[in-house]
Amino acid sequence: MSDPRSVLRRRAALLPPVLLLCALPFYLDAFWLRIGLFSMAAAVGAVGLGLLSGTAGQLSLGHAFFLAVGAYGYVWLAGEPGPGLPPAVAAVLAVLLAGAAGGLFSPVAGRVKGIYLGVATLALVFLGHHVLLTADSVTGGFNGRSVPPLEVGGFAFADSGPELTVLGVPFGAEERLWYLGLALFALTWFTARGLLRGRPGRALAALSDSETAASVMGVHVARYRSAAFVVSSMYAGLAGVLLALSFRRVVPDYFSLALSVDYLAMIVIGGLGSVAGASAGAVFVTALPLLMTRYADQLPLVATPGSGGGAIGPTEASRYLYGAAIVVILLRAPDGLHGLARRAGARLRRRRRATGPPGTGAAPIPAAGTDPTDPTDPAARAKEHTP
Amino acid sequence: MTAAPAAPPALDVRGVTVRFAGLLALDDVSFTVAPGTVHAVIGPNGAGKSTCFNVLSGLYRPTAGTVRLGAAELTRLAPHRIAALGVARTFQNIVTTRGTVADNLMLGRHALSRAGFAATALRLPSAVREQRAHLARAREIAELTGLGAHFDTPVALLPYGDRKRVELARALCLEPRVLLLDEPVAGMNAAERTRTTEVVREIRAELGLSVVLVEHDMGLVMRLADDVTVLDFGRAVAHGTPDEVRRDPEVLRAYLGTGTGTGTAKEGAA
Repeated sequence: MSDPRSVLRRRAALLPPVLLLCALPFYLDAFWLRIGLFSMAAAVGAVGLGLLSGTAGQLSLGHAFFLAVGAYGYVWLAGEPGPGLPPAVAAVLAVLLAGAAGGLFSPVAGRVKGIYLGVATLALVFLGHHVLLTADSVTGGFNGRSVPPLEVGGFAFADSGPELTVLGVPFGAEERLWYLGLALFALTWFTARGLLRGRPGRALAALSDSETAASVMGVHVARYRSAAFVVSSMYAGLAGVLLALSFRRVVPDYFSLALSVDYLAMIVIGGLGSVAGASAGAVFVTALPLLMTRYADQLPLVATPGSGGGAIGPTEASRYLYGAAIVVILLRAPDGLHGLARRAGARLRRRRRATGPPGTGAAPIPAAGTDPTDPTDPAARAKEHTP
Repeated sequence: MTAAPAAPPALDVRGVTVRFAGLLALDDVSFTVAPGTVHAVIGPNGAGKSTCFNVLSGLYRPTAGTVRLGAAELTRLAPHRIAALGVARTFQNIVTTRGTVADNLMLGRHALSRAGFAATALRLPSAVREQRAHLARAREIAELTGLGAHFDTPVALLPYGDRKRVELARALCLEPRVLLLDEPVAGMNAAERTRTTEVVREIRAELGLSVVLVEHDMGLVMRLADDVTVLDFGRAVAHGTPDEVRRDPEVLRAYLGTGTGTGTAKEGAA
C-alpha cells in the first residue's frame, strides 16, 4: 500500500532491533535468555491468537489446548514411548497436528460467532486437560514427560552433543535455543504480517467489522472463520513446540484455562490486530512473573517464593499487575501498546516537523481534533486498528 | 482486468415473496432489469425496497419466487457466490470496514483474486504480483469515483459523502455486471448529490453495467432511471418509464394518499 522507498525505510528500521536480538546471547546469562525464550514462544502463540481474536473478532479460550497439542505432539512424536521420529520432523508434524486439531473443530469455529465461540472453546481446554492427565502412555499423566532435544542435521539445541564456543562464549542449550526461537519468531512475524496485509487478512478484518458487507463482497464467511481458527491453532502448535523445548519438561497443569487467559491478556495489552502489539504483550505477560520471582526479595510488599506468611507471592503479584495493566489499557488506550507507540511516534514526527528549520514550509501544528488526518483524533483511534 | 465489458445478462425477478413471521414484506414482486439499463425501485418507507435488495444479494432467502441472472438462479446461492457472479451492492447505512480507503477497495477485489492463506503468508511471488495488480485497479476506480486523493486515508476520517462514495467504489471494485445501489445519495448535500449522480452516470456509460437503484430522491431517479418499479406495502404497484410512472394514479395514491379515507397518509418522498 505504499511506495518502495518507504518499504525499504521500514525494512531498514527493523535492522537495529534484529541485530540487538542476535547479539544478546553474547552478553546475557542463562536466566535472561530463558526469559527471552519463553517470551518469544509466547509471542508466536499470541500472534496466532491475535489473528483469530484481534483481526477476525473470534474469541478463543481454547488456545492452551492447541499449545498443548503442539507441545505434547512434539514430545510424543520424537520421544519414547512414541514413534521416535527425527525431532525436526516431529516438530513440523506437531505444528500440522495442531492445525488438524483446529480443523476438526472448524464445524464449530466456522459457524459460531465472536464471544459464543469463546464459550465453545472453553470445553476444549477442560477436555484437553483431562486427556493429558489420563492418557498416561502418551502424555505421561500428571508428571508429564521430558522433552527430547531438537536436533537438526546432527546439531543439537541442547547441552548435549559437541561443545560449541562462538567468539569465546560457550553456547549451551539456552544460547542455541535462543537463535531457534528467534528464527521461529521471525518466521511468525513475516508470515503473520503478510497475512494481515494480504487478501485473507482484509477478509478477516471485514468479517469482524461487518459479516454482511464481507459476504456480499464475496467472502465465504464460514470458510474464512474456520481458516482463521486453523491458522491460529498452527501458530499455537509452533509456540507449544518452542515452549516444550525451553521447559525441557511438559506437564498438564501448565496448559490450563489460566494459560488461555494469559494469551488473551497478551493481545489485549499489546493491541488487537497488530503483530508487533501481540509480541510486546507476550513479552510483558511472560517476563513479568519471572522477573518478579527473581527479584522478589528486593520488591516491597512481595514475599519471596515459599516464605508463606500471608504475603503476596511474586506470581500473584504479577497477576495483579497485569490485571491492573489491562484495566488501565482498556480505559486509557483501547488499542494497546501498539496504539500508544504509534501515537507517540506520530506526535514525535509532528514535533520534529514543527521545530524544523524556518522557511522550509514547516506545517503549522493543528489544534487537536480539528485536523482530519490527525492520528490522535479519538474517533480515528477507536476505529482504526490496522496492523 | 479492464477487458471490454460484455453486455450483462438480464436480471429477472419472478414472483418473489418474503414473509417475516406475520409480516408480508414482499408480495409476489416481479420485474426485469434489462441489460445495461438503470432500473429504479421506488416506494414509500417500509415498502420493501431494502428487503428486495437483500433478496437480490442473497442475504434473505425468499419464501417463494426466483431471481435469475442469465442462467444462474440467485435465490439458491449464498451471498459470496452471488458476488462471484458479478452482483455488487452498496448499503443504505454505510457499512465500511476498518482501515484505509485502499483496504476497503481491496476487499471489493476479494472475489476476483485468488491468493489463499499459505501463498499470502509466505508472500509467494504470485500473491505479491496479484496484490499489486489489484491495487493498481483499485486506485483507478478510486480516481474514477473521485476518491483518488483519499486512497490511503483511513475511512473513519472521511466526511459522510466520501464514505458513502467509498461504498460505491468498493462495489465497483468487484467489476460488477449488476450494481445494486441502496439510496446512494441519502443524507448528502446538494453538491455531493450532483457529484454522485455524475459518477453513476459515468460508470454506467463506461462499464456498461446494469444498475438497480433504490432512491428517495425523485430528481435523481428521473434523471438516471430508464425503468421504474414502484413498490407499496410489498407489492409492485406500477412499472414503466419515469414519465409514465410519474403520472400513474396508483403511484400518486401510494405516495400522497387519497382522499377516500381508507388510504393512510404516508410520508412522501422528498
